[in-house]
Amino acid sequence: MAEPSRLAPPLEDDAGTLRNGDLVTLMHWLSPAFPVGAFAYSHGLEWAAREGVITDRESLGQWIGDLLQHGSGWNDAVLFAESHRAAAARDGEGLAALAELARAMAPSKERALETLAQGEAFLAHMAPWPSAALGLLAENAGGPVAYPVAVAAATAGRGIALEAALSAYLQAFAVNLVAAALRLMPLGQSEGVAALAGLCDIVLAVARRAARSGLNDLGSATMASDIAAMAHETQYSRVFRS
Amino acid sequence: MTMPFAAISSFEGAGPGQHMQRAQGHSRIAFRTESGQTRLANLFQEGACKIRLPKTEAGAPPLAVLINSAGGLTGGDRLSVEAQVGEGGHAVITSQACERVYRSAGGAAHFDASIKVGPGARLDWLPQETILFDHARLARRLTADLAGNARLLAVESVIFGRTSMGESVTQGSFCDRWRIRRDGRLLFADDVRFNGPIAELLGHASVLAGGCAMATVLYAGEDAEEHAGGLRAALGEAGAASAWEGKLVARIAAADGQALRAVLVKALGLLSGTPLPRMWHC
Repeated sequence: MAEPSRLAPPLEDDAGTLRNGDLVTLMHWLSPAFPVGAFAYSHGLEWAAREGVITDRESLGQWIGDLLQHGSGWNDAVLFAESHRAAAARDGEGLAALAELARAMAPSKERALETLAQGEAFLAHMAPWPSAALGLLAENAGGPVAYPVAVAAATAGRGIALEAALSAYLQAFAVNLVAAALRLMPLGQSEGVAALAGLCDIVLAVARRAARSGLNDLGSATMASDIAAMAHETQYSRVFRS
Repeated sequence: MTMPFAAISSFEGAGPGQHMQRAQGHSRIAFRTESGQTRLANLFQEGACKIRLPKTEAGAPPLAVLINSAGGLTGGDRLSVEAQVGEGGHAVITSQACERVYRSAGGAAHFDASIKVGPGARLDWLPQETILFDHARLARRLTADLAGNARLLAVESVIFGRTSMGESVTQGSFCDRWRIRRDGRLLFADDVRFNGPIAELLGHASVLAGGCAMATVLYAGEDAEEHAGGLRAALGEAGAASAWEGKLVARIAAADGQALRAVLVKALGLLSGTPLPRMWHC
Protein backbone atom coordinates (compact mmCIF):
# COMPACT_ATOMS: atom_id res chain seq x y z
CA MET A 1 0.00 0.00 0.00
CA ALA A 2 1.34 3.39 -1.02
CA GLU A 3 2.16 5.94 1.56
CA PRO A 4 -0.46 8.63 1.89
CA SER A 5 0.39 11.71 -0.11
CA ARG A 6 2.04 14.46 1.87
CA LEU A 7 -0.56 16.80 0.48
CA ALA A 8 -3.50 14.74 1.64
CA PRO A 9 -5.78 16.70 3.93
CA PRO A 10 -5.83 15.65 7.57
CA LEU A 11 -8.34 12.91 8.26
CA GLU A 12 -9.76 14.37 11.47
CA ASP A 13 -12.27 17.20 11.56
CA ASP A 14 -10.12 19.94 10.08
CA ALA A 15 -12.27 22.91 11.00
CA GLY A 16 -9.61 24.13 13.39
CA THR A 17 -6.42 22.91 11.72
CA LEU A 18 -4.37 24.78 9.19
CA ARG A 19 -1.49 24.41 6.80
CA ASN A 20 1.96 25.67 7.78
CA GLY A 21 1.75 28.43 5.20
CA ASP A 22 -1.52 29.63 6.68
CA LEU A 23 -0.04 29.57 10.17
CA VAL A 24 2.76 31.87 9.05
CA THR A 25 0.29 34.16 7.25
CA LEU A 26 -1.87 34.48 10.36
CA MET A 27 1.18 35.12 12.55
CA HIS A 28 2.27 37.84 10.16
CA TRP A 29 -1.12 39.54 9.71
CA LEU A 30 -2.07 39.43 13.38
CA SER A 31 1.33 40.19 14.83
CA PRO A 32 1.55 43.40 16.87
CA ALA A 33 4.18 44.41 14.31
CA PHE A 34 1.71 44.38 11.43
CA PRO A 35 1.15 48.08 10.70
CA VAL A 36 -2.54 48.56 11.58
CA GLY A 37 -1.68 50.79 14.53
CA ALA A 38 -3.19 48.41 17.10
CA PHE A 39 -0.88 49.80 19.81
CA ALA A 40 -2.82 53.09 19.69
CA TYR A 41 -6.12 51.62 20.90
CA SER A 42 -7.09 50.49 24.39
CA HIS A 43 -10.81 49.76 23.81
CA GLY A 44 -11.67 51.88 26.87
CA LEU A 45 -9.11 50.13 29.05
CA GLU A 46 -7.17 53.35 29.60
CA TRP A 47 -10.18 54.86 31.37
CA ALA A 48 -10.85 51.69 33.36
CA ALA A 49 -7.21 51.58 34.50
CA ARG A 50 -7.19 55.26 35.46
CA GLU A 51 -10.43 54.77 37.44
CA GLY A 52 -8.90 51.85 39.32
CA VAL A 53 -11.36 49.33 37.87
CA ILE A 54 -8.48 47.28 36.45
CA THR A 55 -5.55 47.08 38.80
CA ASP A 56 -3.87 43.70 38.52
CA ARG A 57 -3.48 40.51 36.54
CA GLU A 58 -6.73 39.08 37.86
CA SER A 59 -8.96 42.07 37.12
CA LEU A 60 -7.30 42.46 33.70
CA GLY A 61 -7.87 38.82 32.81
CA GLN A 62 -11.48 39.01 33.96
CA TRP A 63 -12.12 42.18 31.91
CA ILE A 64 -10.66 40.78 28.69
CA GLY A 65 -12.22 37.36 29.25
CA ASP A 66 -15.65 38.97 29.62
CA LEU A 67 -15.19 41.02 26.45
CA LEU A 68 -14.38 37.80 24.60
CA GLN A 69 -17.20 35.73 26.05
CA HIS A 70 -19.99 38.24 26.60
CA GLY A 71 -18.97 41.50 24.99
CA SER A 72 -17.48 43.35 22.07
CA GLY A 73 -14.92 40.60 21.43
CA TRP A 74 -17.76 38.13 21.02
CA ASN A 75 -19.67 40.43 18.66
CA ASP A 76 -16.52 40.90 16.58
CA ALA A 77 -16.11 37.12 16.48
CA VAL A 78 -19.66 36.64 15.20
CA LEU A 79 -19.19 39.36 12.56
CA PHE A 80 -15.87 37.72 11.61
CA ALA A 81 -17.47 34.30 11.21
CA GLU A 82 -20.33 35.59 9.07
CA SER A 83 -17.97 37.69 6.93
CA HIS A 84 -15.61 34.74 6.44
CA ARG A 85 -18.52 32.60 5.24
CA ALA A 86 -19.86 35.35 2.96
CA ALA A 87 -16.41 35.94 1.47
CA ALA A 88 -15.79 32.23 0.98
CA ALA A 89 -19.16 31.91 -0.76
CA ARG A 90 -18.38 34.99 -2.94
CA ASP A 91 -21.54 36.58 -1.57
CA GLY A 92 -21.08 40.28 -2.36
CA GLU A 93 -24.48 41.32 -1.05
CA GLY A 94 -23.85 39.48 2.19
CA LEU A 95 -20.46 41.18 2.57
CA ALA A 96 -22.05 44.57 1.92
CA ALA A 97 -24.64 43.98 4.65
CA LEU A 98 -22.00 42.76 7.10
CA ALA A 99 -19.69 45.70 6.42
CA GLU A 100 -22.61 48.06 7.06
CA LEU A 101 -23.68 46.21 10.22
CA ALA A 102 -20.15 46.16 11.64
CA ARG A 103 -19.82 49.93 11.12
CA ALA A 104 -23.17 50.60 12.79
CA MET A 105 -22.45 48.35 15.77
CA ALA A 106 -19.61 50.46 17.14
CA PRO A 107 -21.09 51.86 20.36
CA SER A 108 -18.99 55.03 20.49
CA LYS A 109 -16.96 57.41 18.36
CA GLU A 110 -13.58 56.07 19.48
CA ARG A 111 -14.63 52.45 19.20
CA ALA A 112 -15.76 53.22 15.64
CA LEU A 113 -12.35 54.76 14.95
CA GLU A 114 -10.61 51.77 16.53
CA THR A 115 -12.28 49.17 14.36
CA LEU A 116 -12.52 51.19 11.12
CA ALA A 117 -9.00 52.66 11.13
CA GLN A 118 -7.48 49.23 11.80
CA GLY A 119 -9.69 47.60 9.18
CA GLU A 120 -8.73 50.15 6.56
CA ALA A 121 -5.03 49.98 7.45
CA PHE A 122 -5.15 46.18 7.26
CA LEU A 123 -6.73 46.28 3.80
CA ALA A 124 -4.22 48.88 2.64
CA HIS A 125 -1.43 46.37 3.33
CA MET A 126 -3.07 43.44 1.53
CA ALA A 127 -1.47 44.19 -1.86
CA PRO A 128 0.92 41.20 -1.60
CA TRP A 129 -2.05 38.87 -0.98
CA PRO A 130 -4.69 39.65 -3.61
CA SER A 131 -7.75 37.43 -3.64
CA ALA A 132 -11.20 37.32 -5.17
CA ALA A 133 -12.68 37.70 -1.67
CA LEU A 134 -10.80 40.94 -1.02
CA GLY A 135 -11.78 42.23 -4.45
CA LEU A 136 -15.41 41.45 -3.68
CA LEU A 137 -15.16 43.23 -0.33
CA ALA A 138 -13.66 46.32 -1.96
CA GLU A 139 -16.51 46.39 -4.47
CA ASN A 140 -19.21 46.00 -1.83
CA ALA A 141 -17.87 47.66 1.33
CA GLY A 142 -19.84 50.88 0.86
CA GLY A 143 -17.57 52.72 3.32
CA PRO A 144 -14.69 52.05 5.69
CA VAL A 145 -14.39 48.39 6.64
CA ALA A 146 -14.38 47.24 10.26
CA TYR A 147 -11.34 45.24 11.37
CA PRO A 148 -13.04 41.82 11.86
CA VAL A 149 -14.72 42.04 8.46
CA ALA A 150 -11.43 42.94 6.77
CA VAL A 151 -9.43 40.11 8.37
CA ALA A 152 -12.26 37.65 7.76
CA ALA A 153 -12.36 38.44 4.04
CA ALA A 154 -8.56 38.25 3.74
CA THR A 155 -8.34 34.90 5.51
CA ALA A 156 -11.26 33.49 3.53
CA GLY A 157 -9.54 34.72 0.38
CA ARG A 158 -6.48 32.61 1.26
CA GLY A 159 -8.66 29.61 2.10
CA ILE A 160 -7.62 29.74 5.76
CA ALA A 161 -10.03 27.74 7.93
CA LEU A 162 -12.51 29.88 9.87
CA GLU A 163 -11.87 28.57 13.37
CA ALA A 164 -8.11 28.89 13.07
CA ALA A 165 -8.41 32.41 11.66
CA LEU A 166 -10.83 33.36 14.45
CA SER A 167 -8.51 31.96 17.11
CA ALA A 168 -5.65 34.07 15.79
CA TYR A 169 -7.84 37.16 15.55
CA LEU A 170 -9.16 36.85 19.10
CA GLN A 171 -5.70 36.08 20.46
CA ALA A 172 -4.43 39.28 18.80
CA PHE A 173 -7.30 41.21 20.43
CA ALA A 174 -6.28 39.87 23.84
CA VAL A 175 -2.56 40.46 23.23
CA ASN A 176 -3.22 44.06 22.26
CA LEU A 177 -5.26 44.78 25.39
CA VAL A 178 -2.67 43.17 27.66
CA ALA A 179 0.07 45.19 25.94
CA ALA A 180 -2.00 48.33 26.57
CA ALA A 181 -2.42 47.39 30.22
CA LEU A 182 1.35 46.97 30.64
CA ARG A 183 1.75 50.60 29.60
CA LEU A 184 -1.10 51.83 31.82
CA MET A 185 -0.52 50.24 35.20
CA PRO A 186 2.25 48.85 37.30
CA LEU A 187 2.03 45.36 35.84
CA GLY A 188 5.18 43.37 35.12
CA GLN A 189 5.89 41.57 31.85
CA SER A 190 5.58 38.19 33.56
CA GLU A 191 2.15 39.20 34.90
CA GLY A 192 1.08 40.13 31.37
CA VAL A 193 2.31 36.83 30.02
CA ALA A 194 0.44 34.99 32.76
CA ALA A 195 -2.76 36.93 32.04
CA LEU A 196 -2.55 35.91 28.39
CA ALA A 197 -1.79 32.31 29.27
CA GLY A 198 -4.91 32.34 31.43
CA LEU A 199 -6.98 33.64 28.51
CA CYS A 200 -5.82 31.00 26.04
CA ASP A 201 -8.61 28.52 26.78
CA ILE A 202 -11.22 31.27 26.54
CA VAL A 203 -9.84 32.42 23.17
CA LEU A 204 -10.05 28.88 21.81
CA ALA A 205 -13.50 28.21 23.24
CA VAL A 206 -14.92 31.49 21.93
CA ALA A 207 -13.40 30.88 18.49
CA ARG A 208 -14.98 27.45 18.45
CA ARG A 209 -18.39 28.76 19.51
CA ALA A 210 -18.26 31.76 17.17
CA ALA A 211 -17.31 29.58 14.19
CA ARG A 212 -20.72 27.95 14.62
CA SER A 213 -22.63 31.18 15.24
CA GLY A 214 -24.84 33.40 13.13
CA LEU A 215 -26.11 36.95 13.34
CA ASN A 216 -28.84 35.95 15.80
CA ASP A 217 -26.07 35.11 18.27
CA LEU A 218 -24.83 38.70 18.37
CA GLY A 219 -25.11 40.34 21.75
CA SER A 220 -23.00 42.03 24.35
CA ALA A 221 -23.43 42.41 28.10
CA THR A 222 -20.28 44.47 28.73
CA MET A 223 -22.01 47.79 29.22
CA ALA A 224 -19.40 49.11 31.67
CA SER A 225 -16.73 48.53 29.04
CA ASP A 226 -18.77 50.58 26.54
CA ILE A 227 -19.18 53.28 29.17
CA ALA A 228 -15.41 53.23 29.74
CA ALA A 229 -14.83 53.67 26.00
CA MET A 230 -17.27 56.61 25.90
CA ALA A 231 -15.86 58.21 29.04
CA HIS A 232 -12.37 57.91 27.56
CA GLU A 233 -13.30 60.59 25.02
CA THR A 234 -13.32 63.23 27.73
CA GLN A 235 -10.57 61.75 29.89
CA TYR A 236 -7.89 64.24 30.83
CA SER A 237 -4.45 63.40 29.42
CA ARG A 238 -4.70 60.31 27.23
CA VAL A 239 -2.06 58.07 25.68
CA PHE A 240 -4.45 55.96 23.56
CA ARG A 241 -6.88 56.82 20.77
CA SER A 242 -9.62 54.68 22.38
CA MET B 1 -58.05 36.74 16.34
CA THR B 2 -56.75 37.33 12.85
CA MET B 3 -54.69 35.03 10.74
CA PRO B 4 -51.19 36.49 11.25
CA PHE B 5 -51.20 35.69 14.94
CA ALA B 6 -52.54 32.21 14.44
CA ALA B 7 -49.69 31.74 12.02
CA ILE B 8 -47.13 33.00 14.54
CA SER B 9 -48.41 30.62 17.19
CA SER B 10 -48.22 27.61 14.95
CA PHE B 11 -44.71 28.69 13.93
CA GLU B 12 -43.75 28.41 17.59
CA GLY B 13 -45.15 24.90 17.59
CA ALA B 14 -47.72 25.66 20.26
CA GLY B 15 -50.54 23.24 20.83
CA PRO B 16 -54.11 24.53 20.99
CA GLY B 17 -54.07 24.58 24.78
CA GLN B 18 -50.93 26.71 25.08
CA HIS B 19 -52.19 28.96 22.33
CA MET B 20 -55.07 30.19 24.49
CA GLN B 21 -52.84 31.09 27.41
CA ARG B 22 -50.48 33.35 25.57
CA ALA B 23 -50.88 37.08 25.34
CA GLN B 24 -50.79 38.38 21.82
CA GLY B 25 -51.28 41.86 20.63
CA HIS B 26 -50.56 44.28 17.89
CA SER B 27 -51.12 47.98 17.64
CA ARG B 28 -50.46 50.56 14.98
CA ILE B 29 -50.49 54.29 15.27
CA ALA B 30 -49.77 56.93 12.68
CA PHE B 31 -49.59 60.70 12.83
CA ARG B 32 -49.77 63.22 10.02
CA THR B 33 -49.35 66.96 9.87
CA GLU B 34 -52.32 69.19 9.17
CA SER B 35 -52.03 73.01 9.14
CA GLY B 36 -48.82 72.81 11.13
CA GLN B 37 -50.33 70.52 13.79
CA THR B 38 -49.52 66.85 14.27
CA ARG B 39 -52.74 64.84 14.31
CA LEU B 40 -53.71 61.23 14.63
CA ALA B 41 -54.00 59.67 11.18
CA ASN B 42 -54.58 56.04 12.04
CA LEU B 43 -55.05 53.87 15.09
CA PHE B 44 -55.39 50.10 15.22
CA GLN B 45 -55.40 47.90 18.31
CA GLU B 46 -55.70 44.18 18.62
CA GLY B 47 -55.33 41.76 21.50
CA ALA B 48 -53.39 42.90 24.55
CA CYS B 49 -51.90 45.99 22.89
CA LYS B 50 -53.91 49.10 23.63
CA ILE B 51 -53.08 52.71 22.94
CA ARG B 52 -54.47 55.74 24.74
CA LEU B 53 -54.14 59.32 23.59
CA PRO B 54 -54.42 61.57 26.64
CA LYS B 55 -55.00 65.27 26.09
CA THR B 56 -51.81 67.28 25.98
CA GLU B 57 -51.30 70.96 26.54
CA ALA B 58 -51.91 73.31 23.65
CA GLY B 59 -48.88 73.41 21.37
CA ALA B 60 -47.39 70.22 22.84
CA PRO B 61 -46.89 67.26 20.49
CA PRO B 62 -49.48 64.48 20.72
CA LEU B 63 -48.76 61.72 23.21
CA ALA B 64 -49.55 58.05 22.69
CA VAL B 65 -49.50 55.77 25.72
CA LEU B 66 -48.92 52.07 25.16
CA ILE B 67 -50.81 49.72 27.44
CA ASN B 68 -50.35 45.98 27.74
CA SER B 69 -53.77 44.87 28.96
CA ALA B 70 -52.41 41.41 29.78
CA GLY B 71 -50.59 43.02 32.71
CA GLY B 72 -47.10 41.74 32.04
CA LEU B 73 -45.35 39.33 29.77
CA THR B 74 -44.27 35.74 30.01
CA GLY B 75 -42.73 33.11 27.77
CA GLY B 76 -44.44 32.85 24.40
CA ASP B 77 -46.20 36.21 24.58
CA ARG B 78 -45.87 38.32 21.48
CA LEU B 79 -46.62 41.98 21.39
CA SER B 80 -45.81 44.37 18.59
CA VAL B 81 -46.25 48.05 17.93
CA GLU B 82 -45.88 50.03 14.74
CA ALA B 83 -45.62 53.80 14.90
CA GLN B 84 -45.33 56.35 12.17
CA VAL B 85 -44.87 60.10 12.12
CA GLY B 86 -45.45 61.72 8.76
CA GLU B 87 -43.46 64.55 7.22
CA GLY B 88 -42.91 67.50 9.54
CA GLY B 89 -44.76 66.00 12.51
CA HIS B 90 -43.72 65.44 16.10
CA ALA B 91 -45.16 62.83 18.44
CA VAL B 92 -44.22 61.26 21.74
CA ILE B 93 -44.82 57.63 22.65
CA THR B 94 -44.48 56.21 26.12
CA SER B 95 -45.91 53.32 28.13
CA GLN B 96 -48.46 53.47 30.90
CA ALA B 97 -46.28 51.64 33.38
CA CYS B 98 -43.09 49.66 33.70
CA GLU B 99 -43.49 46.41 31.76
CA ARG B 100 -43.04 43.33 33.91
CA VAL B 101 -41.65 40.15 32.45
CA TYR B 102 -42.46 37.16 34.62
CA ARG B 103 -40.83 33.75 34.95
CA SER B 104 -41.04 31.84 31.71
CA ALA B 105 -42.26 28.29 31.63
CA GLY B 106 -40.75 27.99 28.17
CA GLY B 107 -39.58 30.26 25.42
CA ALA B 108 -39.09 33.97 25.41
CA ALA B 109 -41.59 36.78 25.42
CA HIS B 110 -41.26 38.90 22.30
CA PHE B 111 -41.80 42.62 22.01
CA ASP B 112 -41.26 44.24 18.61
CA ALA B 113 -41.45 47.93 17.90
CA SER B 114 -41.25 49.24 14.39
CA ILE B 115 -40.98 52.97 13.76
CA LYS B 116 -41.08 55.18 10.70
CA VAL B 117 -40.27 58.87 10.86
CA GLY B 118 -40.75 61.07 7.80
CA PRO B 119 -38.62 63.97 6.55
CA GLY B 120 -38.53 66.87 8.98
CA ALA B 121 -40.46 64.81 11.54
CA ARG B 122 -39.52 63.75 15.03
CA LEU B 123 -40.52 60.88 17.27
CA ASP B 124 -39.69 60.55 20.94
CA TRP B 125 -39.87 56.83 21.76
CA LEU B 126 -39.86 56.82 25.55
CA PRO B 127 -41.26 53.59 26.98
CA GLN B 128 -40.80 53.21 30.72
CA GLU B 129 -38.42 50.63 32.14
CA THR B 130 -38.92 46.90 31.77
CA ILE B 131 -38.55 44.82 34.93
CA LEU B 132 -37.28 41.28 34.55
CA PHE B 133 -38.31 38.76 37.19
CA ASP B 134 -36.26 35.70 38.04
CA HIS B 135 -36.23 33.14 35.20
CA ALA B 136 -37.76 35.66 32.80
CA ARG B 137 -36.93 35.51 29.13
CA LEU B 138 -37.40 38.52 26.87
CA ALA B 139 -36.44 39.26 23.28
CA ARG B 140 -37.06 42.89 22.42
CA ARG B 141 -36.55 44.54 19.08
CA LEU B 142 -36.61 48.16 17.99
CA THR B 143 -36.48 48.85 14.27
CA ALA B 144 -36.64 52.38 12.91
CA ASP B 145 -36.57 53.88 9.45
CA LEU B 146 -35.76 57.56 9.36
CA ALA B 147 -36.22 59.59 6.20
CA GLY B 148 -34.05 62.55 5.25
CA ASN B 149 -33.49 64.81 8.26
CA ALA B 150 -35.95 62.97 10.54
CA ARG B 151 -35.06 62.94 14.22
CA LEU B 152 -35.52 60.12 16.71
CA LEU B 153 -35.01 60.06 20.45
CA ALA B 154 -35.26 56.50 21.76
CA VAL B 155 -34.64 54.77 25.05
CA GLU B 156 -34.73 51.11 26.02
CA SER B 157 -34.05 50.12 29.58
CA VAL B 158 -34.15 47.06 31.76
CA ILE B 159 -34.13 46.41 35.49
CA PHE B 160 -32.86 42.99 36.49
CA GLY B 161 -35.07 42.04 39.43
CA ARG B 162 -36.95 44.11 41.98
CA THR B 163 -33.96 44.72 44.21
CA SER B 164 -36.10 46.63 46.74
CA MET B 165 -37.94 43.34 47.27
CA GLY B 166 -34.67 41.48 47.65
CA GLU B 167 -35.19 39.80 44.29
CA SER B 168 -32.60 39.08 41.64
CA VAL B 169 -32.46 37.35 38.28
CA THR B 170 -30.46 34.23 39.14
CA GLN B 171 -31.29 32.82 35.70
CA GLY B 172 -32.90 34.27 32.65
CA SER B 173 -32.34 35.77 29.26
CA PHE B 174 -32.63 39.24 27.86
CA CYS B 175 -31.92 40.30 24.29
CA ASP B 176 -32.39 43.80 23.01
CA ARG B 177 -31.84 44.44 19.32
CA TRP B 178 -31.76 47.91 17.76
CA ARG B 179 -31.63 48.45 14.02
CA ILE B 180 -31.94 52.14 13.11
CA ARG B 181 -31.73 53.13 9.46
CA ARG B 182 -31.63 56.50 7.77
CA ASP B 183 -32.66 56.55 4.13
CA GLY B 184 -32.16 52.79 4.03
CA ARG B 185 -28.62 52.80 5.45
CA LEU B 186 -27.93 51.37 8.87
CA LEU B 187 -27.13 54.27 11.19
CA PHE B 188 -26.99 52.45 14.50
CA ALA B 189 -27.14 48.78 15.41
CA ASP B 190 -26.98 47.34 18.88
CA ASP B 191 -27.41 43.89 20.37
CA VAL B 192 -27.52 43.59 24.13
CA ARG B 193 -27.59 40.06 25.47
CA PHE B 194 -27.69 38.69 29.00
CA ASN B 195 -28.07 34.97 29.14
CA GLY B 196 -27.90 32.36 31.91
CA PRO B 197 -26.80 33.31 35.43
CA ILE B 198 -27.57 37.00 35.02
CA ALA B 199 -27.15 38.06 38.67
CA GLU B 200 -23.64 36.65 38.69
CA LEU B 201 -22.76 38.30 35.37
CA LEU B 202 -24.02 41.71 36.53
CA GLY B 203 -21.33 41.75 39.21
CA HIS B 204 -18.48 41.70 36.68
CA ALA B 205 -16.58 44.98 36.36
CA SER B 206 -17.01 45.12 32.57
CA VAL B 207 -20.75 44.31 32.72
CA LEU B 208 -22.62 46.43 35.28
CA ALA B 209 -20.11 46.27 38.15
CA GLY B 210 -22.82 45.12 40.52
CA GLY B 211 -25.56 47.38 39.18
CA CYS B 212 -28.98 45.89 38.42
CA ALA B 213 -30.36 48.35 35.90
CA MET B 214 -29.26 49.68 32.55
CA ALA B 215 -30.44 51.72 29.63
CA THR B 216 -29.37 52.72 26.17
CA VAL B 217 -30.37 56.10 24.79
CA LEU B 218 -30.08 57.15 21.16
CA TYR B 219 -30.69 60.54 19.67
CA ALA B 220 -30.43 60.56 15.90
CA GLY B 221 -30.40 63.92 14.20
CA GLU B 222 -28.14 66.36 12.40
CA ASP B 223 -27.62 68.25 15.66
CA ALA B 224 -26.65 65.13 17.68
CA GLU B 225 -23.15 66.33 18.54
CA GLU B 226 -24.44 69.60 19.99
CA HIS B 227 -26.21 67.70 22.78
CA ALA B 228 -23.26 65.57 23.88
CA GLY B 229 -21.93 67.96 26.51
CA GLY B 230 -25.31 68.50 28.14
CA LEU B 231 -26.08 64.81 28.15
CA ARG B 232 -22.73 63.95 29.76
CA ALA B 233 -23.48 66.42 32.54
CA ALA B 234 -26.97 64.94 33.04
CA LEU B 235 -25.58 61.40 33.24
CA GLY B 236 -22.88 62.21 35.77
CA GLU B 237 -21.24 59.05 37.09
CA ALA B 238 -24.15 56.82 36.04
CA GLY B 239 -23.11 56.48 32.43
CA ALA B 240 -21.40 58.07 29.47
CA ALA B 241 -22.23 59.34 26.01
CA SER B 242 -20.64 59.62 22.63
CA ALA B 243 -21.66 61.50 19.51
CA TRP B 244 -20.52 60.96 15.95
CA GLU B 245 -21.94 60.91 12.44
CA GLY B 246 -25.37 62.26 13.34
CA LYS B 247 -25.99 60.07 16.36
CA LEU B 248 -25.67 60.52 20.08
CA VAL B 249 -25.50 57.30 22.08
CA ALA B 250 -25.52 56.86 25.84
CA ARG B 251 -25.15 53.81 28.02
CA ILE B 252 -26.35 54.00 31.58
CA ALA B 253 -25.53 51.54 34.35
CA ALA B 254 -27.35 52.08 37.63
CA ALA B 255 -27.45 50.37 40.99
CA ASP B 256 -31.21 49.78 40.85
CA GLY B 257 -34.44 50.90 39.23
CA GLN B 258 -34.77 54.00 41.36
CA ALA B 259 -31.29 55.24 40.49
CA LEU B 260 -31.93 54.49 36.82
CA ARG B 261 -35.20 56.43 36.86
CA ALA B 262 -33.51 59.46 38.39
CA VAL B 263 -30.86 59.64 35.70
CA LEU B 264 -33.26 58.84 32.85
CA VAL B 265 -35.60 61.66 33.86
CA LYS B 266 -32.66 64.08 33.69
CA ALA B 267 -31.19 62.72 30.45
CA LEU B 268 -34.48 62.33 28.56
CA GLY B 269 -35.78 65.62 29.92
CA LEU B 270 -32.75 67.28 28.39
CA LEU B 271 -32.98 65.55 25.01
CA SER B 272 -36.72 65.45 24.49
CA GLY B 273 -37.03 69.19 24.12
CA THR B 274 -40.56 68.94 25.52
CA PRO B 275 -41.54 68.05 29.12
CA LEU B 276 -41.47 64.29 29.75
CA PRO B 277 -44.88 62.60 29.79
CA ARG B 278 -46.31 62.70 33.31
CA MET B 279 -46.13 58.87 33.50
CA TRP B 280 -42.39 59.38 33.95
CA HIS B 281 -42.96 61.38 37.12
CA CYS B 282 -45.24 58.98 39.02
